Amino acid sequence: MLRNRLLGAIAALTAAGPLMAQTAAPAKPASTATPAPAAAALPSVDELIAQHVKARGGMDKLKSVQTMRMSGRMTMGPGIEAPVSVEVKRPPAMRMEMQFQGLTAIQAYDGKSGWMIMPFGGRTDPQPMSPDDLKDAEDMADMDGVLVDYKSKGHSVEVVSKEKVEGTDAYKLKVKLKNGDERYVFLEAESFMEIRNEGKRKIRGSEVEVEASFGDFKEVGGIIYPHSIEQAMKGNPQKQSITIEKIELNPTLDDTRFKMPAAAPSPAPSPAKK
Amino acid sequence: VPTPSRSRFPSFTFTATATFTVGLLAAPALAQVKVDSDVLAGLEARSIGPAAMSGRIAALDAVPGDRLTVWVGAASGGVWKSVDGGLTFKPVFDKHVPSVGDLVVDPTNPQTVWVGTGETWVRNSVAPGEGVYKTTDGGETWTRMGLEQTERIARIAVDPSSHDTVYVCATGAAFADHPERGVYRTRDGGKTWDKVHFIGPDTGCADLVLDAKDPRTVYAAMWQFRRKPDFFTSGGPRSGLFKSTDGGATWKPIRKGLPEGDLGRIAVAVAPSKPGTLYATVEAKKTALYRSDDGGESWTWVGDASAVTGRPFYFSRLLVDPKNADRVYKPGFSATVSDDGGKTFATLGSGGFLGPSYHGDVHAHWINPGNPEQMAIGTDGGLYFSADRGRAWRFVGNLPLSQFYHVSADMEWPFNVYGGLQDNATWYGPSRRGGPITNKHWNAIVPGDGFWVFPDPTDSDLVYAESQGGRLYRVRKSLGESKDIRPAPKQGEPRFRFNWNTPIHMSRTSPGTMYYGAQFLFRSRDRGESWERISPDLTTNDPAKQRQNESGGLTPDNSTAENHCTIFAISESPRNGQVIWVGTDDGNVQVTRDGGKTWTNVTANITGLPRGTWVSSMDAGQFDEATAFATFEGHMTGDFKPWVFKTADFGKTWQPLGVWDMKWYAHVVKQDPVNPDLLFVGTEWGLYVSLDGGASFSQFSAGLPNVAVRDLAIHPRDHDLVIATHGRGLYVVDDLTPLRKLTAQGLEAEVAFLESRPSPMVMPLFEFGFSGDDDYAGRSPSESARITYYLKKRHMFGDFKLEVLDGQGKLISTLPGGKRRGINRVEWPMRRPAPRAAPGAELVPSFFSLFGPRVPEGTYNVRLTKGTQTYTSQITLVPDPRSKHSAADREAQRKTAGDLYALVERLAFLVGSVEQARDQARARAKDLPEKDALGKRLTTFAEAMEKQRVSLVSTSRGEGISGEEKLREELSMLYGNVNGYEGKPTQSQLDRMAVLAQDLDAAFARFNAAADKELAALNAGLAKAGKPALAKLTAEQWAAKK
Repeated sequence: MLRNRLLGAIAALTAAGPLMAQTAAPAKPASTATPAPAAAALPSVDELIAQHVKARGGMDKLKSVQTMRMSGRMTMGPGIEAPVSVEVKRPPAMRMEMQFQGLTAIQAYDGKSGWMIMPFGGRTDPQPMSPDDLKDAEDMADMDGVLVDYKSKGHSVEVVSKEKVEGTDAYKLKVKLKNGDERYVFLEAESFMEIRNEGKRKIRGSEVEVEASFGDFKEVGGIIYPHSIEQAMKGNPQKQSITIEKIELNPTLDDTRFKMPAAAPSPAPSPAKK
Repeated sequence: VPTPSRSRFPSFTFTATATFTVGLLAAPALAQVKVDSDVLAGLEARSIGPAAMSGRIAALDAVPGDRLTVWVGAASGGVWKSVDGGLTFKPVFDKHVPSVGDLVVDPTNPQTVWVGTGETWVRNSVAPGEGVYKTTDGGETWTRMGLEQTERIARIAVDPSSHDTVYVCATGAAFADHPERGVYRTRDGGKTWDKVHFIGPDTGCADLVLDAKDPRTVYAAMWQFRRKPDFFTSGGPRSGLFKSTDGGATWKPIRKGLPEGDLGRIAVAVAPSKPGTLYATVEAKKTALYRSDDGGESWTWVGDASAVTGRPFYFSRLLVDPKNADRVYKPGFSATVSDDGGKTFATLGSGGFLGPSYHGDVHAHWINPGNPEQMAIGTDGGLYFSADRGRAWRFVGNLPLSQFYHVSADMEWPFNVYGGLQDNATWYGPSRRGGPITNKHWNAIVPGDGFWVFPDPTDSDLVYAESQGGRLYRVRKSLGESKDIRPAPKQGEPRFRFNWNTPIHMSRTSPGTMYYGAQFLFRSRDRGESWERISPDLTTNDPAKQRQNESGGLTPDNSTAENHCTIFAISESPRNGQVIWVGTDDGNVQVTRDGGKTWTNVTANITGLPRGTWVSSMDAGQFDEATAFATFEGHMTGDFKPWVFKTADFGKTWQPLGVWDMKWYAHVVKQDPVNPDLLFVGTEWGLYVSLDGGASFSQFSAGLPNVAVRDLAIHPRDHDLVIATHGRGLYVVDDLTPLRKLTAQGLEAEVAFLESRPSPMVMPLFEFGFSGDDDYAGRSPSESARITYYLKKRHMFGDFKLEVLDGQGKLISTLPGGKRRGINRVEWPMRRPAPRAAPGAELVPSFFSLFGPRVPEGTYNVRLTKGTQTYTSQITLVPDPRSKHSAADREAQRKTAGDLYALVERLAFLVGSVEQARDQARARAKDLPEKDALGKRLTTFAEAMEKQRVSLVSTSRGEGISGEEKLREELSMLYGNVNGYEGKPTQSQLDRMAVLAQDLDAAFARFNAAADKELAALNAGLAKAGKPALAKLTAEQWAAKK
């Protein structure tokens, strides 16, 4: 499913030149998650994940989705908006597109390698992704989310605590990803929906912390999906939000959409045409 | 949210609570409106720094390596960590107490760090701690390992041979006898502690060091001392140096060679390169440096340089160079070094007679053990690094540890804030900017310690500011000139007693009148040129509390910090200038109702409050002259309880307010000037808010750590709350209007809009500047309007959005809404969405071309959709108060921006049409045989269309610098230029727009002509071939494509 981490695309946009300089805001301390009073014994990892899967519609439903396309709008700051779409296919592959001033940026991953087209600075040919960006792409390609089948994906998970997330009770799970990164996932205590995650990523030996929160959960084809995502570099008051207007399950998505084109990309079908 | 604390003074709790309950029951008006901190968290406070002067650092440690890791323990601003060699820092301890005594990295594991809380440099303004903490994951999570009641910790030492063995040197309570002090040892990593060395309830541990070779040999300096509100004593018969050779099990006093008589604070250091060699500075009648070469058994006097003797209670660290046993560093008024075993000392840093370039008062000094050329010092003014053994220093400009005492604001727009700081003068800077507020935006006035400061109400170029002990100045900012305006005794008057932190108060009923307090209250109506004494001595004038000349103990210390029996708080009623409240440091509350002719001491009417408790603030009621609020605090006599009272009858009776959730003592109370039930209380542990007139309080912790809040200012025009912290600088909560509207009834609603102040339409600025990562960036609010609402519960399922509509009900913007429980703030850029632009080779290099045009000023409707429910409210936009543009000029800008917007979109439609025609023709041609005539004609048509496209938009690949400008680029640039300026467009811009509009018309005509001519013929051929016809893009199709 669409995780956090469209940040790569945003970073690339920001890097388009002095045009966008000085929008970065300063570091801000303190987490918004605060410990709740000591509660009863915590449920086990497997219990929580089972509840989470059940609440989303059940494992069979989740697994019945082979391809998915989400389309909506991304707000990168007050007044800066872009249409965005994400396509995901099993086995994990993904393609994200974002339009800005008539230009279409693409990030894609075919299960092995990643590529992107970042036209904002004048380059329209595909370029391979750096290993750091590839982590984002792999993450986005994980349609079911990091908790589902975590063992077979090579992750490990532990339940840390029950905490308040912005004033709402949630279970905090610590996920050690196969690639070495760490993430905290917060499942809302009543609905077991993932309402927040906080990720730590190593980039050139330094930790970069990102956070995302999820909301507007709605049912599509028997599965509950968030339709609102807000994400930021941790401590940065400048947040990006994505509002998902449409989710299509099992659309036809040819494998070529995820493979790096030789020169020019195949023309992107507009989400509205589908 | 702090963990529920164990009461420091258990005997007290029950009676105090009982009194409070009775008091509250007697007040039927106070219906509790209790909210938890999370409800308020959407009103996040923003830190505006400053870090230009930083603040006191009590402890330092670092881990050398490919990337130097630096740990900073602030005196009252928390623990900060750098993993990039001291370039950037982040706070890692903000859930806990912000005062640090010592921190030490486990020598065997750099992920394990111990923090002893509570500063040991026990100056008058020192902050308390609550035990020892440990992290095993590099500061990610912390566990309190006990010793909660020690209040302050001077040293932690980890046994390098067995890292679960740790010694804690606890200075202990500064203001009262307490048995939890001395030397503690754990052998199980902090699970359990043994108090292995204890002298008495007034004698703590001041320093502790392990032998360089044998960690079972431990040296500890024990210190008898006491600080009181009016007196400080260092030294006594119970102070002394001790040694243990069995890991702390037994201790023997060391006296051989050390001075006779009472001893004071002792610092001790071992020479890492020469086991058995130690140095110690020993405070005594004749303070000096001593050396031992026999493992501390006997000592030799080596010198009494001023570097060694200065202010031992405040400077008591000693370090020996890692490689040279004769090189000794002594932090003090400056950082100093001896290269001859302590006989002579030189000051580190260049600067000659004027002194070094770093801030004085050095408390911590780290030397890289592998490379002693590299070092860092922690001072009263922040952190510095040197790469050349202390000759030159680099200031760390991104540690916002500033220790404010007070804050005020002027009426400029945006308003400036003013405040005085511990040992760091008085500063002013902007409350917001069009970009981050960085160190260069702050200016210092009046050196020394700074406290109260106010701009003149009619001329903000004039500022009244002071330094310690009542030295008062009037400063003209533009010139930098300052005039001494302190009142002085006339013939026959006694000497004036001014507090360290002398109150200045500005009249709210008669601008230009100000008050100043010694033991008497003074009033000036001529900007301090002359003063009228308008009270008798309002204090207890107790001679036993006026011994500051004798203060200090073994080393005299009379900095005015112990001045006592003085006025500390002044508040004139905003309802009646004849009513003035005064609070004194020795516990008197006095009120006059006739402008100072007669005074009534109402102290005795406050029941439940221990006599003599320091009046930390007074706030005359905003709505009623008989009402006043007061905070009292007795921490300097060992009473850490918050005391907040209200009177509504000129002080005849006092009602205690509901302070149960407050953890520590209260510094300031303020009543909101608009909503009488909205109160703010700043305490040693954060800020608290009451929505019910004081019946209950909730901690305000959004963006604000648990730091001491010393003062508050509510801006009378902009309704911002400015928070002065003692350790983390200044914070602003933008616009209190929504908080004022949060009622008991509102809290019961599922969804409730909360009114915001009218939003000024400020044009965003984009500054040029690339200062790197080591300049603190204080947050400015964005230029957006804010829409505020309350959610009883987090929104989880279904749609949730905000829409802004104009007066005619036309939708302007759709915004993603905040979903958190409690208050949410959503930003609206006050613009329509950006125009749909034609694709070109790259982004148009004009920032404002990426934004939509601004909407007109006025009132807009806001509609919130939550699932199937909708809620409505309104928001008002007003012009930038600084705007130099007439309404007609702003309208001309909006009209032109709107016209250009339409042109940009029209061009996008044209390019879309051209591309569709091209693509359809290409697709049909592809389906036909290669030599087919129709196919050829289709291809020719597609090429013609492509030519048209290339004539309209840039197409050359240029890595951002192709320089190609076609109609797309020209139109978007012009649109951006007009869209980024608030006033009327230039004639050149209007002329150019007309030209571009004609070009666009011509381009449309060209397309239509070509298409109309060819489509008929091509479609006839396609029909014959059984292929679908080519179609021109219609406006409806184009709109649907969006």
